Amino acid sequence: MNLSELTEEIRHKARELLESGQVDCVIGYEASPRGGARPAFIYDPAEADRLIWDATCVHNLVTYLHDKKKPRKRGEEPPHVAVVVKPCDSRAINVLLAEQQIERERVYIIGVACEGVQDETGELAARCIRCADRVPVVYDVLLGEPPEVPPVEDDYADLARIEEMSPAERLAFWLREFDRCIRCYACRQVCPGCYCTTCMFERDDGLWVDIGIELPQKHIFHLGRALHLAGRCVECNECERVCPMGLPLSLLNRHLVREVEALYGHRAGREEALSPLLFELGEEGSPI
Amino acid sequence: MRFTTLNGLRAWLDRLAREDEYDLIAPRDVDGHVLYRPVGSSDEILFDYERPELSAKDYLLPATEVILRIEQQGKDVALEEVLPDKKQVLFGIRPCDAHGMAVIDALFLEQDPPDLYYRHHRERSVLVGLACPQMWEGCFCASMGGAPDDPTHLDVLLRAVDGGYAVEAVTEKGAALLEGLPLEEREGEPPSVVADAEPVPVAEPAKWRALFEDDLWQRHGERCLSCRICTYVCPTCRCFDVTDRVVDVRPGLTRIERIRVWDACTSTNYRRVAGGHNPRPTKPERLRNRFYCKFCYYPEDFGPLGCVGCGRCIVSCPVDIDITEVLRDVVEA
Repeated sequence: MNLSELTEEIRHKARELLESGQVDCVIGYEASPRGGARPAFIYDPAEADRLIWDATCVHNLVTYLHDKKKPRKRGEEPPHVAVVVKPCDSRAINVLLAEQQIERERVYIIGVACEGVQDETGELAARCIRCADRVPVVYDVLLGEPPEVPPVEDDYADLARIEEMSPAERLAFWLREFDRCIRCYACRQVCPGCYCTTCMFERDDGLWVDIGIELPQKHIFHLGRALHLAGRCVECNECERVCPMGLPLSLLNRHLVREVEALYGHRAGREEALSPLLFELGEEGSPI
Repeated sequence: MRFTTLNGLRAWLDRLAREDEYDLIAPRDVDGHVLYRPVGSSDEILFDYERPELSAKDYLLPATEVILRIEQQGKDVALEEVLPDKKQVLFGIRPCDAHGMAVIDALFLEQDPPDLYYRHHRERSVLVGLACPQMWEGCFCASMGGAPDDPTHLDVLLRAVDGGYAVEAVTEKGAALLEGLPLEEREGEPPSVVADAEPVPVAEPAKWRALFEDDLWQRHGERCLSCRICTYVCPTCRCFDVTDRVVDVRPGLTRIERIRVWDACTSTNYRRVAGGHNPRPTKPERLRNRFYCKFCYYPEDFGPLGCVGCGRCIVSCPVDIDITEVLRDVVEA
């Protein structure tokens, strides 16, 4: 099946879901006037033809489900929503289900078989090169046929250059990266796992970090955010994609992915399961 | 035209960087990103660059600025106002950046009372612009009353010409700074730069007011992430927050800094008030405010449009919210 056929299937499904009243809104991708794809919210079946699918559909749309938890008008029910997901995106759904952030019966999951998406240079994105999933881990309908590709083993090769550094070199590396951060919070805002009503790094009465856009606050923010995502980060890599200053945030997140997998045998979103870091205590003397 | 070679310019900049009178700020390659940063010599300066990823406003309205130091010893409280007094040269800024400063002036300088900290930075700064040789991706400065080689809001404008730069002293401040730069007279004038072919239309404030409840805000705003990229890269967004932070506590002595820090109307808690109520609880409402501020409230209250067409918000938005698309939709609605 080629991509334009898949686009047609997505449009057809979206139209059917909206016409039957099964969902109020379909979250998918549309063509951006600037080229490539951008997120789209379709309420009217007549608008379903705006939807597209191609290798520029990079965004993880699961993050928008947080905006759909409340009714649009007071007194109404929250909306039923369909969302188009790639395999990486679908792992975020499992995390949000386990954390009771979304109601399964209010979300219709349009899973798309995925050959990988592009980075900004048009090459296959780094996260897709190491991704073993061709099919979403959870869906209500699967569109497209899973492409045949050789099995992939994630060897964490991307982390090697950091792990070769001494602690002092590593600190210097990260401080240099964090120095460029402008504290725009795009990494946090795009993250499906960052949904706290008030982020602890943005409290008016923050004890640990004030609102200053300076190196110490940026340092604490990025390390703190990475730790809060330990065992929860699904490696969709949206934080790194949206960063206007090009911070290599995947290195932080994936270091913790590796640690959590080694200690707990847990990889976020593969199943509908909470991060073991939230509740599991090791026995005395164990590395956990 | 008055002309200088690149080597002449470099020598002049090196002298500015060496001497203690000025801090020299210029476009620099920072790990692959073009940013205005302090430089120690002309070797660090980029002369051939597109549009720096952040505007130069950081040097007039710093992202974080200590404005007051408070020291409490027993019952004695000492207050010290903090104002840096060293002069600074902002070299290689683009005409749109200087235009953005003129927009901020309308509120921070020309209203009563003026913003003392901003005025202080404005007075200690000399703006040496380098004309854009072309329009870059997302640029629409000509639609906002500027041009890629507009000298209007600068102290000095440089334009790249064969073998060096055409030098125009726009203000007396600029002319004074140029003393020591080897200049020669040359025949001809630098060619002007072709501005954007398709102008972006801007509706009158009355039209905006009529569209406040229109569906288009939902359409554009629903995919907004409520991050702060567009406001932080913007040369005219000037909202800030102020807070006190304790920097030192010991028996009988407390030191506090009062800081002011960039803030963004696109962020979730910007408009939250005491008691926790948020009058702009959704993303479309917050994004709408950003556009209304620029094209309705600001021109009505202070004169100029709140946008200079630099295009930074367009190229840096992770979900392709495009201010020119919004402007066209408002005109067509």
